[in-house]
Amino acid sequence: MTNFLLVGLGASIGAFLRNEFTLQQSKLKIDFPIITLLINISGALLLGILTAQIHNGAILLLLGTGFCGGFTTYGTFNMELSQLWFQHRLGRCFIYFLLTYIFGILGFIVGIHI
Amino acid sequence: MKKRGEVFLFLFVGAFFGSDLRYLESLIFKTSHGFPLGTLVANLSGALILPFLIHYLQDRYKLSSKVVLSLSTGVLGSYTTFSTFTADTYRLLENEQWVALLLYLTLTIVGGFALALLGNYWAATQAFNDYVKRGKKE
Repeated sequence: MTNFLLVGLGASIGAFLRNEFTLQQSKLKIDFPIITLLINISGALLLGILTAQIHNGAILLLLGTGFCGGFTTYGTFNMELSQLWFQHRLGRCFIYFLLTYIFGILGFIVGIHI
Repeated sequence: MKKRGEVFLFLFVGAFFGSDLRYLESLIFKTSHGFPLGTLVANLSGALILPFLIHYLQDRYKLSSKVVLSLSTGVLGSYTTFSTFTADTYRLLENEQWVALLLYLTLTIVGGFALALLGNYWAATQAFNDYVKRGKKE
Protein backbone atom coordinates (compact mmCIF):
# COMPACT_ATOMS: atom_id res chain seq x y z
CA MET A 1 0.00 0.00 0.00
CA THR A 2 2.82 2.38 0.95
CA ASN A 3 4.42 1.63 -2.40
CA PHE A 4 1.38 2.94 -4.27
CA LEU A 5 1.45 6.11 -2.18
CA LEU A 6 5.15 6.66 -2.93
CA VAL A 7 4.75 6.14 -6.69
CA GLY A 8 1.61 8.31 -6.84
CA LEU A 9 3.13 11.12 -4.83
CA GLY A 10 6.35 11.21 -6.84
CA ALA A 11 4.47 11.09 -10.15
CA SER A 12 2.10 13.89 -9.14
CA ILE A 13 5.00 16.24 -8.50
CA GLY A 14 6.70 15.07 -11.71
CA ALA A 15 3.54 15.67 -13.75
CA PHE A 16 3.05 19.10 -12.20
CA LEU A 17 6.60 20.09 -13.16
CA ARG A 18 6.13 18.64 -16.65
CA ASN A 19 3.01 20.77 -17.09
CA GLU A 20 4.80 23.91 -15.88
CA PHE A 21 7.57 23.35 -18.42
CA THR A 22 5.21 22.40 -21.26
CA LEU A 23 3.31 25.66 -20.74
CA GLN A 24 6.51 27.47 -21.76
CA GLN A 25 6.38 25.86 -25.23
CA SER A 26 3.83 28.39 -26.54
CA LYS A 27 6.06 31.27 -25.40
CA LEU A 28 8.96 29.93 -27.41
CA LYS A 29 9.16 30.92 -31.03
CA ILE A 30 10.30 27.43 -31.95
CA ASP A 31 8.08 25.28 -34.12
CA PHE A 32 9.29 22.02 -32.58
CA PRO A 33 8.24 20.12 -29.43
CA ILE A 34 11.54 20.93 -27.75
CA ILE A 35 10.09 21.01 -24.23
CA THR A 36 8.87 17.39 -24.27
CA LEU A 37 12.19 16.39 -25.83
CA LEU A 38 14.17 18.06 -23.03
CA ILE A 39 11.83 16.65 -20.36
CA ASN A 40 12.27 13.10 -21.63
CA ILE A 41 16.06 13.33 -22.00
CA SER A 42 16.61 14.97 -18.61
CA GLY A 43 14.18 12.54 -16.93
CA ALA A 44 16.07 9.57 -18.39
CA LEU A 45 19.39 11.08 -17.26
CA LEU A 46 18.04 11.64 -13.76
CA LEU A 47 16.67 8.09 -13.56
CA GLY A 48 20.11 6.80 -14.57
CA ILE A 49 21.75 8.80 -11.78
CA LEU A 50 19.16 7.64 -9.23
CA THR A 51 19.48 4.00 -10.29
CA ALA A 52 23.25 4.11 -9.78
CA GLN A 53 23.33 6.17 -6.57
CA ILE A 54 20.28 5.15 -4.57
CA HIS A 55 19.89 1.68 -3.16
CA ASN A 56 16.87 2.24 -0.97
CA GLY A 57 13.80 0.60 -2.56
CA ALA A 58 11.27 3.06 -1.15
CA ILE A 59 13.19 6.15 -2.28
CA LEU A 60 13.68 4.60 -5.71
CA LEU A 61 9.92 4.05 -5.98
CA LEU A 62 9.23 7.66 -4.99
CA LEU A 63 11.86 9.32 -7.18
CA GLY A 64 12.39 6.76 -9.96
CA THR A 65 9.11 4.96 -10.75
CA GLY A 66 7.16 7.91 -9.33
CA PHE A 67 8.86 11.22 -10.07
CA CYS A 68 10.87 10.32 -13.20
CA GLY A 69 8.05 8.10 -14.49
CA GLY A 70 5.51 10.89 -14.07
CA PHE A 71 7.81 13.65 -15.28
CA THR A 72 8.68 11.93 -18.53
CA THR A 73 5.95 10.88 -20.91
CA TYR A 74 5.64 8.51 -23.79
CA GLY A 75 1.99 9.20 -24.65
CA THR A 76 2.51 12.91 -25.35
CA PHE A 77 5.68 12.18 -27.30
CA ASN A 78 3.87 9.82 -29.68
CA MET A 79 0.89 12.18 -29.89
CA GLU A 80 3.23 14.97 -31.00
CA LEU A 81 4.88 12.63 -33.50
CA SER A 82 1.47 11.76 -34.97
CA GLN A 83 0.56 15.47 -35.17
CA LEU A 84 3.72 16.25 -37.12
CA TRP A 85 2.96 13.27 -39.34
CA PHE A 86 -0.59 14.40 -40.13
CA GLN A 87 0.66 17.93 -40.79
CA HIS A 88 3.04 16.42 -43.36
CA ARG A 89 6.05 17.85 -41.54
CA LEU A 90 7.88 14.59 -41.97
CA GLY A 91 11.41 15.98 -41.58
CA ARG A 92 10.59 17.42 -38.16
CA CYS A 93 8.72 14.25 -37.24
CA PHE A 94 11.73 12.08 -38.06
CA ILE A 95 14.23 14.37 -36.31
CA TYR A 96 12.06 14.52 -33.17
CA PHE A 97 11.75 10.73 -33.25
CA LEU A 98 15.52 10.20 -33.61
CA LEU A 99 16.57 12.81 -31.04
CA THR A 100 14.20 11.44 -28.40
CA TYR A 101 15.25 7.80 -28.68
CA ILE A 102 18.98 8.34 -29.21
CA PHE A 103 19.54 11.00 -26.56
CA GLY A 104 16.99 9.46 -24.20
CA ILE A 105 18.77 6.10 -24.06
CA LEU A 106 22.19 7.80 -24.06
CA GLY A 107 20.98 10.05 -21.24
CA PHE A 108 20.16 7.08 -19.05
CA ILE A 109 23.52 5.44 -19.80
CA VAL A 110 25.38 8.67 -18.99
CA GLY A 111 23.37 8.97 -15.76
CA ILE A 112 24.30 5.45 -14.69
CA HIS A 113 28.01 6.13 -15.19
CA ILE A 114 28.49 9.60 -13.67
CA MET B 1 -3.96 32.09 -7.68
CA LYS B 2 -7.09 30.08 -6.91
CA LYS B 3 -7.14 28.82 -10.47
CA ARG B 4 -3.53 27.68 -10.17
CA GLY B 5 -4.42 25.69 -7.07
CA GLU B 6 -7.29 24.02 -8.89
CA VAL B 7 -5.07 23.09 -11.83
CA PHE B 8 -2.56 21.64 -9.41
CA LEU B 9 -5.24 19.53 -7.71
CA PHE B 10 -6.64 18.16 -10.99
CA LEU B 11 -3.16 17.31 -12.25
CA PHE B 12 -2.14 15.82 -8.92
CA VAL B 13 -5.11 13.45 -8.71
CA GLY B 14 -4.79 12.43 -12.36
CA ALA B 15 -1.06 11.74 -12.18
CA PHE B 16 -1.49 9.83 -8.93
CA PHE B 17 -3.94 7.37 -10.50
CA GLY B 18 -2.12 7.16 -13.82
CA SER B 19 1.24 6.29 -12.30
CA ASP B 20 -0.26 3.79 -9.86
CA LEU B 21 -2.05 2.05 -12.72
CA ARG B 22 1.33 1.75 -14.47
CA TYR B 23 2.92 0.45 -11.28
CA LEU B 24 0.10 -2.07 -10.84
CA GLU B 25 0.60 -3.30 -14.40
CA SER B 26 4.32 -3.71 -13.80
CA LEU B 27 3.42 -6.02 -10.88
CA ILE B 28 0.73 -7.93 -12.79
CA PHE B 29 2.75 -8.44 -15.97
CA LYS B 30 5.88 -9.66 -14.26
CA THR B 31 7.66 -12.13 -16.52
CA SER B 32 10.06 -14.82 -15.38
CA HIS B 33 12.83 -13.73 -17.79
CA GLY B 34 12.53 -10.02 -16.97
CA PHE B 35 10.89 -8.81 -20.17
CA PRO B 36 9.40 -5.38 -19.31
CA LEU B 37 5.87 -6.29 -20.36
CA GLY B 38 4.25 -3.97 -17.81
CA THR B 39 5.93 -0.83 -19.18
CA LEU B 40 5.15 -1.94 -22.71
CA VAL B 41 1.44 -2.50 -22.01
CA ALA B 42 1.15 0.88 -20.24
CA ASN B 43 3.02 2.79 -22.94
CA LEU B 44 1.27 1.23 -25.92
CA SER B 45 -2.25 1.51 -24.50
CA GLY B 46 -1.57 5.09 -23.42
CA ALA B 47 -0.25 6.01 -26.87
CA LEU B 48 -3.50 4.76 -28.43
CA ILE B 49 -5.90 6.37 -25.96
CA LEU B 50 -4.34 9.87 -25.74
CA PRO B 51 -5.19 10.95 -29.33
CA PHE B 52 -8.63 9.36 -28.94
CA LEU B 53 -9.22 11.44 -25.81
CA ILE B 54 -8.00 14.67 -27.36
CA HIS B 55 -9.65 14.29 -30.75
CA TYR B 56 -12.87 12.51 -29.80
CA LEU B 57 -13.84 12.03 -26.13
CA GLN B 58 -13.14 15.66 -25.24
CA ASP B 59 -15.66 16.88 -27.79
CA ARG B 60 -18.12 14.01 -27.49
CA TYR B 61 -18.61 14.38 -23.73
CA LYS B 62 -18.01 18.15 -23.65
CA LEU B 63 -15.24 17.72 -21.09
CA SER B 64 -14.03 20.87 -19.38
CA SER B 65 -10.44 21.98 -19.92
CA LYS B 66 -9.58 21.05 -16.33
CA VAL B 67 -10.88 17.50 -16.79
CA VAL B 68 -9.01 17.17 -20.08
CA LEU B 69 -5.82 18.40 -18.41
CA SER B 70 -6.32 15.92 -15.58
CA LEU B 71 -6.90 13.02 -17.99
CA SER B 72 -4.30 13.85 -20.64
CA THR B 73 -1.36 15.55 -18.90
CA GLY B 74 -2.20 13.94 -15.56
CA VAL B 75 -3.48 10.37 -16.00
CA LEU B 76 -2.12 9.43 -19.43
CA GLY B 77 1.04 11.55 -19.12
CA SER B 78 2.04 9.70 -15.96
CA TYR B 79 0.58 6.35 -16.97
CA THR B 80 3.00 6.30 -19.88
CA THR B 81 6.67 6.82 -19.21
CA PHE B 82 9.79 7.42 -21.21
CA SER B 83 12.41 7.20 -18.46
CA THR B 84 11.45 3.66 -17.42
CA PHE B 85 11.64 2.64 -21.07
CA THR B 86 15.28 3.80 -21.23
CA ALA B 87 16.03 1.96 -17.96
CA ASP B 88 14.44 -1.25 -19.30
CA THR B 89 16.44 -0.91 -22.53
CA TYR B 90 19.68 -0.50 -20.61
CA ARG B 91 18.96 -3.52 -18.41
CA LEU B 92 18.26 -5.79 -21.40
CA LEU B 93 21.41 -4.46 -23.09
CA GLU B 94 23.57 -5.09 -20.04
CA ASN B 95 22.16 -8.59 -19.54
CA GLU B 96 22.80 -9.30 -23.22
CA GLN B 97 19.18 -10.37 -23.75
CA TRP B 98 19.40 -9.53 -27.43
CA VAL B 99 16.13 -11.05 -28.62
CA ALA B 100 14.16 -9.45 -25.79
CA LEU B 101 15.95 -6.14 -26.42
CA LEU B 102 15.16 -6.16 -30.13
CA LEU B 103 11.55 -7.12 -29.48
CA TYR B 104 11.12 -4.47 -26.79
CA LEU B 105 12.71 -1.70 -28.87
CA THR B 106 10.71 -2.58 -31.98
CA LEU B 107 7.39 -2.85 -30.17
CA THR B 108 7.97 0.39 -28.27
CA ILE B 109 9.38 2.47 -31.10
CA VAL B 110 7.23 1.26 -34.01
CA GLY B 111 4.21 0.21 -31.95
CA GLY B 112 3.84 3.50 -30.07
CA PHE B 113 3.91 5.58 -33.22
CA ALA B 114 1.58 3.22 -35.11
CA LEU B 115 -0.91 3.18 -32.22
CA ALA B 116 -0.83 6.98 -31.94
CA LEU B 117 -1.70 7.18 -35.66
CA LEU B 118 -4.41 4.57 -35.13
CA GLY B 119 -5.80 6.57 -32.18
CA ASN B 120 -6.21 9.57 -34.49
CA TYR B 121 -8.02 7.48 -37.13
CA TRP B 122 -10.18 5.87 -34.44
CA ALA B 123 -11.20 9.32 -33.19
CA ALA B 124 -11.99 10.54 -36.71
CA THR B 125 -14.02 7.39 -37.50
CA GLN B 126 -16.04 7.68 -34.28
CA ALA B 127 -16.71 11.36 -34.88
CA PHE B 128 -17.82 10.59 -38.44
CA ASN B 129 -20.13 7.76 -37.29
CA ASP B 130 -21.71 10.07 -34.70
CA TYR B 131 -22.23 12.68 -37.40
CA VAL B 132 -23.94 10.18 -39.71
CA LYS B 133 -26.17 8.93 -36.86
CA ARG B 134 -27.20 12.47 -36.00
CA GLY B 135 -27.99 13.11 -39.64
CA LYS B 136 -30.32 10.09 -39.79
CA LYS B 137 -32.27 11.21 -36.72
CA GLU B 138 -32.97 14.67 -38.09
